[in-house]
Amino acid sequence: MAETQPSTFITLASNDSGSVTVERAVAERSMLIKNMLEDLGEGAVASEIPIPNVGEQVLKKVIEWCQHHKNDPITANDDDSDSRKKTTDIEEWDQKFMQVDQEMLFEIILASNYLDIKPLLDVGCKTVANMIKGKSPEEIRKTFNITNDFTPEEEEQIRRENEWAEDR
Amino acid sequence: MSTTTNTTRAKVIMPMMPNREDLEATWRYLELGVSKIMGNLQDGMDMGTYMGVYTAVHNFCTSQKAVSNASHGAIGGAHRGAHLLGEDLYQNLIGYLNNYLKDLVGASKTHADEALLTFYIREWDRYTTAAKYINHLFRYLNRHWVKREMDEGKKNIYDVYTLHLVQWRLTLFSEVHTKVMDAVLKMVEKQRNGETIEHGQIKSIVDSFVSLGLDEADPTKSTLGVYRYHFEQPFIDATRKFYQAESKQFVAENSIVEYMKKAAIRLDEEEERVKMYLHPDIVMQLRKCCNQALIADHSALLRDEFQILLDNDRYDDMARMYRLLARITDGLDPLRAKFEAHVRKAGLAAVSKVADDADKLEPKIYIDALLEIHTQYQELVKTAFLDEPEFTRSLDNACREFVNRNQVCKSGSNKSPELLAKYADAVLKKGTNGAEENDLENTLKQIMTVFKYIEDKDVFQKFYSRMLARRLIHTTSSSDDSETSMISKLKEQCGYEYTNKLQRMFQDMQISKDLNSSFKEFESKALDGDSRPVDATYSILGTGFWPLNAPNTDFTPPPEISRAYERFQTFYAQKHNGRKLTWLWQFCKGEVKANYCKASKTPFTFQVSTYQMAILMLFNENDKNSYEDIKTSTQLEESVLDPALAIFVKAKVLLMTGNGDKLGPGKTFALNYDFKAKKIRINLNIAVKSEQKAEVEETHKTIEEDRKLLMQSAIVRIMKARKKMKHTQLVSECINQIRTRFVPRIPDIKKCIDILLEREYLERLDDDELGYLA
Repeated sequence: MAETQPSTFITLASNDSGSVTVERAVAERSMLIKNMLEDLGEGAVASEIPIPNVGEQVLKKVIEWCQHHKNDPITANDDDSDSRKKTTDIEEWDQKFMQVDQEMLFEIILASNYLDIKPLLDVGCKTVANMIKGKSPEEIRKTFNITNDFTPEEEEQIRRENEWAEDR
Repeated sequence: MSTTTNTTRAKVIMPMMPNREDLEATWRYLELGVSKIMGNLQDGMDMGTYMGVYTAVHNFCTSQKAVSNASHGAIGGAHRGAHLLGEDLYQNLIGYLNNYLKDLVGASKTHADEALLTFYIREWDRYTTAAKYINHLFRYLNRHWVKREMDEGKKNIYDVYTLHLVQWRLTLFSEVHTKVMDAVLKMVEKQRNGETIEHGQIKSIVDSFVSLGLDEADPTKSTLGVYRYHFEQPFIDATRKFYQAESKQFVAENSIVEYMKKAAIRLDEEEERVKMYLHPDIVMQLRKCCNQALIADHSALLRDEFQILLDNDRYDDMARMYRLLARITDGLDPLRAKFEAHVRKAGLAAVSKVADDADKLEPKIYIDALLEIHTQYQELVKTAFLDEPEFTRSLDNACREFVNRNQVCKSGSNKSPELLAKYADAVLKKGTNGAEENDLENTLKQIMTVFKYIEDKDVFQKFYSRMLARRLIHTTSSSDDSETSMISKLKEQCGYEYTNKLQRMFQDMQISKDLNSSFKEFESKALDGDSRPVDATYSILGTGFWPLNAPNTDFTPPPEISRAYERFQTFYAQKHNGRKLTWLWQFCKGEVKANYCKASKTPFTFQVSTYQMAILMLFNENDKNSYEDIKTSTQLEESVLDPALAIFVKAKVLLMTGNGDKLGPGKTFALNYDFKAKKIRINLNIAVKSEQKAEVEETHKTIEEDRKLLMQSAIVRIMKARKKMKHTQLVSECINQIRTRFVPRIPDIKKCIDILLEREYLERLDDDELGYLA
């Protein structure tokens, strides 16, 4: 679509009165926007599109990602494919892109979930997974600012139950 | 990417969101949106509502609300990790759809027939379009709650779009499908009766029915189940009833030929109907149903008509009938049987027309009669039956019957091969017809057509080889090319062995040509003072390849000839040491000049056989010779001498004196100096009728002998391979092996087995078994 209609731009409105104008093909990385434009027809392209669940900062960040990835092949619907599930590898650009504070990271994840941008959701979740990987429970708690509400007995039991999974 | 900060964004009104944790409020909000889509989509949908509904669904499903209802989550929840919300929305949606569809069912009751179809299609289009929208709006539910339920193997949970179809089927379709189908069938009947209908409507109904078939195992795939049961079945039933009634009436009021035309049109129409507005899945069933009602149910009538069509050469109508009956199983078999019988009868009739006197029957007339029938019906097979192999086989069967068993062949099936061989001889002989090479080749092909049907191929072989021998010896072949072409055709049909001897004969003649030229060289040096050598050519024919026997009489050739042939014998002995030459005097011929005649200045030339030459030479010494003198000098048997003399007497070359007209001892022959003739060359070497007849009889006799040998060798071959065999089995095996040459009679085989038992090639074992004795 980027090739055939290079000049079509649409405007997205964030819930904090921000607005972003973007090439239609870029915005259509979001299945929500893609479906909506298809359903509502050309008339919808002209007006601003309200995005009630996303703030301007996050929206811009998401659009930046879409811009970079606008020419990626649309992944087939086999969302259970092994490569997607098993690997936590993230390409270099995405790694840099995700170098943001934790709050922004989670906002991006929520937004991509809402906007239905599966590859971005994957990258976000993988980033979080990599933050957890190789860390002790204590380190994880520290990383995500979680208070330990287990009693020592409970914790010991859980440790024993999961002993098999420990990497030795 | 650009960011704008101008005032337009003030226009964007963020939709008002219900409390994400309040199911009641959320559903009230959603129902409003869904109703708008269902009922009022044509007015367009504003973006705010679209985004609002999507967001509300998303928000509800992602709300952090604790499990409020004990009925879900309590059992599976512990293992499912995060609890996914959504079931409430799903159930509410079902409830909404149910109500909506129930209202539609109510509304449908006011419509009937075409109006009902219009109603159904309109509502179906509206509903499915809406379903597509709602599916998008509830996408978050699909992605999370529905997906999870399906992954866990829950039955009867569908993505939102499929859910719409399921509800349609359960609530509306189950109520109205019979009425809808009735309307469809009424329209189709109208069309069959020649009215124009809006067939796009039926197409839409078909599409709707097809969409409603869902694969239980994988709801994303559709099956044809619903369509087959609710559309195909009633459609087929109605079609059957319609055509049963129509064809019954039509047949009663019209001729069969008219009916065939009508049926063909109807069948085409139905094929066209499928393409126009039915689902391709129905093709086979519809075809079967139409074939039954239009063809199979009337096949007896059609078949009865076939004989009439055959009798009247109605090719087009037969082609029509073929096309109809080819559509039903076993439809053509009775036709083939009738066709075969008809061709056989036609063949027999054609033969008896020409066969008033079998003995005087011209080969050409007979063969032409056979060919005419074959050509006629082959054409029929080609044009009316599309060269279908089974009909070709019926034609072949019929031809084989009337070629081998007809009035001419009353005495036995060997008359046909004999006549065919004679016909071939006539065709290949020089001068009998000035036919072009091409025509000749065509005629040979026709001969092969008849030959294919000949059962006694050995008889043909015998006669053919005799006549070929004669053509070669007397150099009366019209062309070597045609001879080889014919031999190779026979070889193609019957194999190397069948034509082996024929080919050898041909080769012998080639070799003889070379031999003669080198003999000429040899002779010029070895004349031994013979001042007047006889100018002679010699043919060396391999014994066993040629169907010729040594002369049946003694013979002393005149000295002029013996000097020449002795020189040749010396020459041949030098070349091929140890080979024995037997002189076949009965096939030799020559020319003598009669320079004694007073009537003509130029001497007459007599073409004579060597026997006749020997007789005439005697008159060089004496003007008169007695029968006894001639007999002693030539050493000829009476059976040969008498006919030779008879020709001279008849032609008045010799004058016979003595008592009575009968040739024989006591008669004296004198040279006729007053011999007169219109031509300078006179052929006196004429075969006598009785001779020819004797030859035919002899040929038949040798055929019988050869057959016995062939059967015996086949029996020995089989037994050698099997060692032990039942008597009956041996007989049938033997027939199998020999069938390509002739059809052996069982009593003959039994006789041969007895001969072999006597000669101790075979022995009798217990239980009707025979054993092989090495």
